[in-house]
Amino acid sequence: MPESRTLRLQRALASLVLNGDEAAIEADPGRVAHQQGLTGSDLRSFRDQGPAMMTYRELARMSLIEPLETMFPVLRALLEGAGSWGGCVEAFLDARMVRSPQYRDIAPAFLGWLAATRWGQDRWPFILELAHAEILEVLVARFPDSNPLEGLHADPGPQDLIILDPATQVVSYTHAVHCACSESPVPEARPTHLLAFRDGEGLARLMELTPATAALLVQAQTCPLAEAAAALNVPDLTPVTSLLRDLRSDGAIAGFRSFP
Amino acid sequence: MAQDRFTGVGLGLRRPHLEQVARMEGHGVPFWETCPENVIGDGGRYHRMACTILDRDPVLTHGLAMSVGGFDSWDEEYLRDLGEFLVRTGTPWHSEHLCFTSVDGSCLHELLPLPFTREAVRHTISRARALQARLPVPLLLENITYYAELGAKEMDEADFITAVLEGADVGWLLDVNNVYVNALNFGFDPREWLSRMPLDRVTQLHIAGHKKFGDLTVDTHGADVIDPVIDLMQWTLSRLGRPVPVLLERDNHIPDFDELLAERARIQHAYDAALVPSEVRHA
Repeated sequence: MPESRTLRLQRALASLVLNGDEAAIEADPGRVAHQQGLTGSDLRSFRDQGPAMMTYRELARMSLIEPLETMFPVLRALLEGAGSWGGCVEAFLDARMVRSPQYRDIAPAFLGWLAATRWGQDRWPFILELAHAEILEVLVARFPDSNPLEGLHADPGPQDLIILDPATQVVSYTHAVHCACSESPVPEARPTHLLAFRDGEGLARLMELTPATAALLVQAQTCPLAEAAAALNVPDLTPVTSLLRDLRSDGAIAGFRSFP
Repeated sequence: MAQDRFTGVGLGLRRPHLEQVARMEGHGVPFWETCPENVIGDGGRYHRMACTILDRDPVLTHGLAMSVGGFDSWDEEYLRDLGEFLVRTGTPWHSEHLCFTSVDGSCLHELLPLPFTREAVRHTISRARALQARLPVPLLLENITYYAELGAKEMDEADFITAVLEGADVGWLLDVNNVYVNALNFGFDPREWLSRMPLDRVTQLHIAGHKKFGDLTVDTHGADVIDPVIDLMQWTLSRLGRPVPVLLERDNHIPDFDELLAERARIQHAYDAALVPSEVRHA
């Protein structure tokens, strides 16, 4: 079945909005219509209404770029310093990776694109970590609510598994990206471990972890606490269980479950 | 009837106001309008506050990104979630925009105009009917602002909207500001335009502020409503002769809640005045 004229018109407008070559589009807005096989009066309508058509490019790109500017201020500062922010955003839009109708998904889509394409990683090996750290708290803060997990107990025992709250993330970076800021966007190369979780008020909190604590929180999700602690050369469980109780009280840990 | 709960001038539920609104039961706002895309699948503190309000107060729902006139297949999982959300809120209807927002799976996050053609009318009717079949409440479609016509037109905007509303047999969310903005940009008389339209299908109104950029007026939802738009709302309400709910939209440069309440009260006053029977007005 031949593609409908309506679909070709929509594709042409989408290209006018998203395609990277602004100068060429501005010089001839009809070019995107031509590329879709549109001719005659449809093609002329793009050309005759050039400035108005370009309004759509401006409005839609503003909608798509605004969450990037809001959510990645440090990355933006880093790339603007190198004159690369505009090119990065252009490449992202040109890749058409915004596939979700949820506006809040635009920033995660950008992160996914950075990861998939490795854009800029040769020059800035920490760029993906930096972008991830910038939206980590928002991802945790807005993680979908779910019903409380059942069958968990409050006090950790040596044979228990740690069950993190579904919103909690334990992340490890090779750079101290959480310390970077717009004024100083290049992070120190230092292994960094973070716990991001939602407190009782539903607000995101960030806590820096020691390497051993980070490893324990990861490993004790799949093997008993005592075993995980022993593997990390932690012979005394008393301070560990005290910390875990605090983390449960703070909301990072949902509870504990006996190892099956 | 559930619809009877919805009269007067409501407000969009906006994130900066959630905390204040969740704490106030006597806010005087007769209903809220919420965008399901912003609530479904969300979590955390602000989500909980939004849910507190949505479970407590009368709510209308208004979608942003369904791409009714588009070609991408429906996200059936989202539609199931949407259906549950609509039932939970008790909204008597759900509105979407008469536009397209995505192409080949790529979401543009902008309300883009449909071609004013017979083919687009047929396509959009088919899509609107398919969407209606998936929703637990009646579907309304909203007229958008447009800044250019997409392709060569075979009819004007009024005929296009009428054909879709009639063909799909859906209600109309009439955005009077959008009519006003289109009238400015394309040089027509908004009252004459409205007189041609199927006003019997109007179930809800939207009203908002706009801004002029050079020769173009843009529907920004970022300023107070100007008097000519309020006059057009009153003219429309008088023509309708029934108290359909009006939603004051404010999505940019969102003022403090108290300031927005004052703007709502101003529109409500105009709303009440428009619906006073003429014999009472002249008594």
